[in-house]
Amino acid sequence: MDNLSRKDQLWLWLNGVIGHHVLLFEQLLSTYNEVEEIYMLAQKRKISMFLRWGEAFAERICAAANETQIECQINWLKTNKASILPLYSSKYPELLKEINHPPSLLYVKGKLDASPKLPIAIIGMRKSTPYGEAIALHLGAELTKSGATIISGLARGIDSLAAKGALSVEAALFPTVAVLGCGIEIIYPSSNARLYYEIIERGAVVSEFLPGTRPYRENFPIRNRVISGLSRGVVIVEAASRSGTTITANHALDQNRDVFAVPGRITDESSAGPNLMIQQGEAKPIFCAADILCEYGLTAGPAKPSARPDLTGLTQAQRLVVEQLTSGEKSADELCENLSLPIAEVNSTLTSLQFSGIIKQLPGRVFGL
Amino acid sequence: MLSCIQSYGLNGISGFAVQVQVDIANGLPCYETVGLPDAAVRESRERVRSAIKNSGFAFPVCRITVNLAPADMRKEGSVYDLPIAIGLLEAAGQLSPKCADKMVFLGELGLDGSVRAIDGVLPMAIDAFSSGYETIVLPEGNAEEAAYITGAKILPARTLKQVVECLRNNGEFEPYPNKVWDTTEIIHSTDFSEIRGQQGAKRAAEIAVAGGHNLLLIGTPGSGKTMLARSIPSILPELTFKEALEITKIHSVVGATRESGGIIRERPFRSPHHGASAAALIGGGQQALPGEISLAHFGVLFLDEFPEFRKDVLEALRQPLEDGVVTITRASANATYPADFMLVAAMNPCPCGNYGSRISQCRCTPFQIQRYQSRISAPLLDRVDLHVEMTEVGYSDISSKAAGETSLKIRARVNSARQVQRVRYEDVGIFFNAQLPNRLIKTYCALDSASEAMLRQAFTALKLSARAYHRILKVARTIADLEGEEKISSAHIAEAIQYRSLDSNAIGGMHG
Repeated sequence: MDNLSRKDQLWLWLNGVIGHHVLLFEQLLSTYNEVEEIYMLAQKRKISMFLRWGEAFAERICAAANETQIECQINWLKTNKASILPLYSSKYPELLKEINHPPSLLYVKGKLDASPKLPIAIIGMRKSTPYGEAIALHLGAELTKSGATIISGLARGIDSLAAKGALSVEAALFPTVAVLGCGIEIIYPSSNARLYYEIIERGAVVSEFLPGTRPYRENFPIRNRVISGLSRGVVIVEAASRSGTTITANHALDQNRDVFAVPGRITDESSAGPNLMIQQGEAKPIFCAADILCEYGLTAGPAKPSARPDLTGLTQAQRLVVEQLTSGEKSADELCENLSLPIAEVNSTLTSLQFSGIIKQLPGRVFGL
Repeated sequence: MLSCIQSYGLNGISGFAVQVQVDIANGLPCYETVGLPDAAVRESRERVRSAIKNSGFAFPVCRITVNLAPADMRKEGSVYDLPIAIGLLEAAGQLSPKCADKMVFLGELGLDGSVRAIDGVLPMAIDAFSSGYETIVLPEGNAEEAAYITGAKILPARTLKQVVECLRNNGEFEPYPNKVWDTTEIIHSTDFSEIRGQQGAKRAAEIAVAGGHNLLLIGTPGSGKTMLARSIPSILPELTFKEALEITKIHSVVGATRESGGIIRERPFRSPHHGASAAALIGGGQQALPGEISLAHFGVLFLDEFPEFRKDVLEALRQPLEDGVVTITRASANATYPADFMLVAAMNPCPCGNYGSRISQCRCTPFQIQRYQSRISAPLLDRVDLHVEMTEVGYSDISSKAAGETSLKIRARVNSARQVQRVRYEDVGIFFNAQLPNRLIKTYCALDSASEAMLRQAFTALKLSARAYHRILKVARTIADLEGEEKISSAHIAEAIQYRSLDSNAIGGMHG
């Protein structure tokens, strides 16, 4: 990042001055050919602005056309250990270049592969259910094991779990990319701070928004087109019927990407999105990672989600509890009732099973595998 | 002429002796009350005057001075009407001198000469009796509660005339029959057998009662938190006479014994609304009256919608929870009340109440849920040993499930566990596991290697906090006591770990 070429610097400058404004950037470039030229004219205050964008922009560009402004932006990159990828760069992701109006400039933290082997986006709702979380985690890990790179939005719920799944594969060289809807140095939601740093460590966090941009809600649909743009396929794990996730899915269809959907129960609001896409023939229903991988000529390990847990070495009571839970989540009271065991024994059995990682506790003292 | 009549005043839940001195002298007719009387005492003049006249006696037309000694303590209320009237009649020569010596008079007068019930009779009567006054004249309406003072001769006064006639008759009267504390079974309004399902919560309640722990119930609306809390008094051990007297004293001060008539025989269950002020909960007001926590003494204080209470109100609970007593200081009064209660708190898991429900959808954001749960401060949570999440009960559960164990059965187990603890802590001066100070936990909650390993695992796997450590040990100790075992085993630890919902980041499963 130390050796930004003059062209890089000027791109950084122009992008920074006009803000996140892809269309204006494109228009300026088509009018003036080179950013260098824009800079020179701006210094002489000779940028005439097309009526559509107004004089204010021209004024702003002219006022900012000095070396201090450039310095300032370069310094910011240095202090924040971030780098940039201008659209013309050879390191700019190949797939992203294909979409309509790709971001003129990407801010990057970590290392971004220009053409990863198989970039797959896993997206879904923030208020995920345990079912969706388990699937996202599983798919994230299984796809990464077969060499895929998981693209997600670092949101709560499905996005986070997918990234966590990808990071759990120690051997992966380039497990995951997170695309932010705010400035690249802003961690949103703040509860994902640990995940954010882990992703920077082993993958990349990218954003097209200027440093310091808050996570305004209108940013996210703009960001979503980059998530689908970076990937070859988009997996929808859980989503409401009209939501940010379905927006991303529509972007994916527009960008000619494959769309996969994880089916859920037809009564679940959280599965309405993917179920609907399957019904309308927009998405391929998938049951395991292999269903995705086979589309790209890859094979997966034998793992299937929710395989029966290993019962060896368990006590009689533990075995009974696990068998109860294979048919669905149950509360402690239901277990107590169904097994006719005293509550004291059920409680201590649950603790030991929790410790061995076979079951987990869900809100409301409900337990599941 | 001068006369002296003995009466009592109230300070907190103890009485103090007040001598009512009446002097009648020649001069212009006037009536003066001295000895720091409050408005109600000063107004007694009008009541006494009318009561004497309307009872057929003559009100002396002289210079009358009434002094309430000791003169430097504030006197409140209408309790001195009767002693003043008797003193006046004696000073005026309508009663023979010294006829009312060795008697204590308490009571308010009506204009017609009737004697009306007052608040705080029991503590005053107990202190009068223990300072050597055997004969106590008090309003008939309060006779029931005072009747439990064995050996005291209670004269239930209906009218001033009746009292005067008795005194003229050499003070002979038929005393109110003393009552004996009988331990016949009290029928509780709710019984544990009426709660269908909810095995986990019932078990937690049993453990909490057995070890004197405080309890926090977390559950969706309609999961039966309130019903469970209301049933808890039915598994608390029976009141002893001493406890009942102490409870009645406190309730007598606020006048809560008048309707119930006499001594309180059931453990109190207090459930103040969440709009309650700190003064309402802890005690206060001009006269430093007891608050809900003292009224819940030896019983259950149930705080429904726990996070909805004002923060300063909740924080004020911390000190009494620790000490079992509360001292209330006001400009004009200062009182110490016992407040040894079991705290049962109930809360929804989130603002909308449906988080974790399998029937309805929760509409809160994770941030809202976290903020809601963090309204209860860690130091306060620290004093609540058991947190239980309750699962909602469906219709089929209510209609189909068999009745559970009766409260009587559970109470038998509680009693034996409490007995074990009493014996064990005889030398330490505490009664329950919940009171164990941290320095003694190592001595009384020794662990074998298997339990030690289980606990260590809990710390890493469940991300428990350090303060949860002691709590789990204390609860495990109680579980072992309930099973009648001397050593804490790993099964006890494992069960105790299930009652720690709020110790980790948030309610189970939040930390994905």
